Amino acid sequence: MLSVLVWVPIVGALVVAVLPESSIQVSARRVALAIASFILLWSVYLMLQFNVAESGWQLQESLPWIKELGLVYQMSIDGLSLPLILLNSLLTLIAIFATDLNINRPRLYYSLMLVLSGAVAGAFLAQNLLLFFLFYEVELIPLYLVIAIWGGARRGYAATKFLIYTAASGVLILVAFFGLALVSGLSTFDYEALRSHSLPLSTQLVLLITLVIGFGIKIPIVPFHTWLPDAHVEAPTPVSVLLAGVLLKLGTYGLLRFGLGLFPEAWSVISPGLATIAVVSVLYGSLAAIAQTDMKKIVAYSSVGHMGYIILASAAATPLSLLGTIFQMVSHGLISAMLFLLVGVVYSKTGTRDIGVLRGLLSPERGLPLVGSMMVIAAMASAGIPGMVGFIAEFLVYRSSFPVFPVQTLLCMIGTGLTAVYFLMLVNRVFFGRLPEALSDLPRVKWRDRIPAGIIAILIVVLGIQPNWMLRWSEQTAVAMGTNTLDRVTAMQATEAVENLEATEVPAVKVSLTLD
Amino acid sequence: MIELLSQTSWWVPAYGLVGAVITLPWSIGLVRRTGSRPAAYLNILMTVLALIHSSLLLWAVWDAPPERLLIPWLHAPGLDIWLTLLTSRISVGGTVIITALSLLAQVFALGYMEKDWALARFFGLMGIFEAAMSGIVLSDSLFMSYALLEVLTLSTYLLVGFWYAQPLVVTAARDAFLTKRVGDLLLLMGVVTLSSIAGSLDFTHLALWAQTAQLSPLVANLLGLALLAGPVGKCAQFPLNLWLDEAMEGPNPASILRNSVVVGCGAYVLIALQPVLALSPLALTTLTVLGALTAIGASLVAIAQIDIKRALSHSTSAYLGLVFLAVGMQQDEVALLLLFVHGLAKALLFMSTGSIILTTSTQDLTEMGGLASRMPATTTAYIVGALASIGLLPLGNFMAMVEWAEAAWVVAPWLMGVLVAVNGLTAFNLVRVFGLVFWGKPQAKTRRAPEVGWLMAVPMITLMIFNLLAPFILEKFQMLPNWNDPNRGLVLVLICSSLVGCGLGAWLYLSPEKPKLVGAIATPLREVLADDFKMNRLYQFSVVFAVLLGSRLAAWFDRYIVDGLVNFVGVASIFSGETLKYTISGQSRHYLLTLFIGILLSITVLSWTLWEWSPTLHSLALRAQP
Repeated sequence: MLSVLVWVPIVGALVVAVLPESSIQVSARRVALAIASFILLWSVYLMLQFNVAESGWQLQESLPWIKELGLVYQMSIDGLSLPLILLNSLLTLIAIFATDLNINRPRLYYSLMLVLSGAVAGAFLAQNLLLFFLFYEVELIPLYLVIAIWGGARRGYAATKFLIYTAASGVLILVAFFGLALVSGLSTFDYEALRSHSLPLSTQLVLLITLVIGFGIKIPIVPFHTWLPDAHVEAPTPVSVLLAGVLLKLGTYGLLRFGLGLFPEAWSVISPGLATIAVVSVLYGSLAAIAQTDMKKIVAYSSVGHMGYIILASAAATPLSLLGTIFQMVSHGLISAMLFLLVGVVYSKTGTRDIGVLRGLLSPERGLPLVGSMMVIAAMASAGIPGMVGFIAEFLVYRSSFPVFPVQTLLCMIGTGLTAVYFLMLVNRVFFGRLPEALSDLPRVKWRDRIPAGIIAILIVVLGIQPNWMLRWSEQTAVAMGTNTLDRVTAMQATEAVENLEATEVPAVKVSLTLD
Repeated sequence: MIELLSQTSWWVPAYGLVGAVITLPWSIGLVRRTGSRPAAYLNILMTVLALIHSSLLLWAVWDAPPERLLIPWLHAPGLDIWLTLLTSRISVGGTVIITALSLLAQVFALGYMEKDWALARFFGLMGIFEAAMSGIVLSDSLFMSYALLEVLTLSTYLLVGFWYAQPLVVTAARDAFLTKRVGDLLLLMGVVTLSSIAGSLDFTHLALWAQTAQLSPLVANLLGLALLAGPVGKCAQFPLNLWLDEAMEGPNPASILRNSVVVGCGAYVLIALQPVLALSPLALTTLTVLGALTAIGASLVAIAQIDIKRALSHSTSAYLGLVFLAVGMQQDEVALLLLFVHGLAKALLFMSTGSIILTTSTQDLTEMGGLASRMPATTTAYIVGALASIGLLPLGNFMAMVEWAEAAWVVAPWLMGVLVAVNGLTAFNLVRVFGLVFWGKPQAKTRRAPEVGWLMAVPMITLMIFNLLAPFILEKFQMLPNWNDPNRGLVLVLICSSLVGCGLGAWLYLSPEKPKLVGAIATPLREVLADDFKMNRLYQFSVVFAVLLGSRLAAWFDRYIVDGLVNFVGVASIFSGETLKYTISGQSRHYLLTLFIGILLSITVLSWTLWEWSPTLHSLALRAQP
């Protein structure tokens, strides 16, 4: 069941790669679209199979692979991965649909996109640490290649930077995973086995911090974010859509699944630090976005800021905040994908993304009025205007983090105001005003350019008005994760208290214990 | 029937929303063949339905106790959000006023915007406006009110930016959005805090909670100030008052609503929040101080304006300042009364202004004159609106001001001074505008000025009648002052202040041999007033400065420190590779030697180095490749 999400795209990629030469543009695109649509339908089917009342793993699959290594092909889904799987399937389809019709080397391009989708799905589904790592690394290769081959002028620089950073992230994660397997002495990479095994706090801290940095590069958190604006600026539009929409979520997903899930005690120790990092990310990303002149860079820095909210709510780690985290992941995935799509349309029609040059694109007859209107919607959704998904996601994040980290939450909220500032500047400069002569005969915008963003816009509004349609899928999982963390932390504090008591007051008991 | 009506109270806001959605095919250009008129008609139809529904509802709830309607909206662990509606005589009365004014403004817009190509978009936005406002009035939940206030912010932005091709409009829209956003953001902080510490966000619950809440003074004060900030922004109070003035760049029919009921919505939320604000003495003091400052300051600024819409919009700020003061005095009834009568009068003044602007194609007071004989209906509307705005004849605002004065006299007599000043200055200002626009000799732009068509005249006359009937409506709502024991002194002072203001205005602007005011007031003072007390500078040097500085710093740091460091590592590795290649001689024994040393070195390094370091090696290797 679940493996379909991984292997159909990968096999499909092989099929695309060996398609005959004649009219390859059309046929490769059609096959890729067909596979992506099938995957989306399959994800919806899985969603219908999913039992909302259950908090744990569902639809499990297990196949022994390399037993000596502790590597088992084990896949399953829960309320944390389900929304991300759907997001991945949807955005893959949209990214493939939004691809330029006359792209160079279509076979390779569409194959890589499909491999990317399959690998990401695998990473979200893997229930074995090593398996997760494999998919996490596999996803890098196609992404590196699509940026390096189909990117903009400085694609070599951006792609290498991306690869180095993410490889470093991968190594850190691998180190933490190996360390965990070794230290725990279980010689397995099974998630559940490792999760129920409790390590001493100091060991946990070392492993968790390694993991946080590893995933932090991917999310990205400040100061490891610098690969992101470059990668976005150079990547072609569909890749930006996937990168911002899905791939960054791998980082936060990993943080929640492996950081919080495996080391809840250590998590509670470092969470104030994480919340502070979140504040820095939010404010730094938002402020840096204000100073940018490239539309893609503005959106990229806004991603840095908005991923900060996810870290804030993850740090709080209460049931409500974890639910808010998942919701914000989906919300950011949709909104940033829409923003990148629209920026892509503007770029393909005008040939520039410089907000100093563009002006008056809302002009009804000769400009891009509908694209501009959708840009206003996307910008407002990102700025957290009610009626759209961004508002309720951010509200949940703030509301749930406030009792735990009041000061950090209030500081993060300033980021919402700053978001309004940079997106308003963007909309005002690029879309308002009078259309200059230089931009007066733009190529016509086709419905094909508008549909992807339009679909996302509908989702943004629908989920903004009916947030429960999304929340219900993740509620039980979030509650389970939150209460589990709470239980483990309380247990740890209780043991500490007992130990302190023993150390100070009743040495006799300790002696008798050792005698036993 | 009554049951059914109050169960369907949420339909009232829904009509406007449906109207807005219906216009989509026209506003995005799917339907071109019919032009955008049908969209406008459909929207007006929806507003008529909303008006009928809310009128029926008012009839139904007239004698009924207030009833709450709970709509479950969001369910999450530890957080349930209900959209709570409260149907009472006051809230439903509010929706009637809003839908009625919206209907009048929309019919007016049919005439005013006759030749505009984007009519559908305008009516769609008006639909959202109307929906959000009637939602706020009905709402019994701070969460919902907050959300709808934000929707109002958005639609204000889009309505002000309606003619987005003009540069002034662009900045006006931006300022309107950002200024309100500052208030909204602080309000959001308050909402989040309140939601965490008080549990439910229903106003009814909050009022009960506030009676027993034990908060530390710091928390209470911060909370109170945060909650205050939203209404301050929405009601254009000092220091977030400038947007209303700039918003006058937008189409006039939207200004009618904005100056009457939209600003009122902020005050309405403030009234609902009053029990929570009472927890913090500091917040109440701030409320009073801001209200008093705005009331007098904005009245002064209004006098110095030469743009007809701006002259009136500043006086809106001033009246909302009076509303703030009423809330600060804990006189909710008076505040509501003032909102109602001010809304009626201001809407009429703005309709009349709209006719003038459409006919003369100018907003500059100095270019006008002599319209009285040419546009009788507009002139009458203006006169009625002006009289209803000041405390002279027993029309709407006179009643409200008497109530206000009686309340103030008990609480803090010095507040009478504020009222007298606002009333006198407004009277002066209204006569000044009258003199410049309708009196005197016609100028180039006002020479050929026919009366406006019936589409604009009918709403204007209707509203005029409503203004004249206001005292009777108030009587029906039992909101009239108690005449059994009136404080004759206060009434006399009020009338005197109006008379002095009018007389001074008449002397300066109505007399044939106009004494020049220009010389009467020192130029710097005039400029300061005309420039809104240089408020722009205040923004420039505080918030704008901080954000710009922060963003430049962040960008600089990002470019030169964070990225610079990364690039330095890259460049250094490439440089070392480039340098090393000159050691290559081409002789095979050198290669063998290099190979040998290399193997030795790598074995040593590998055995020594912890493999945590491998990312650096990895990156070096990759860097060196190209």
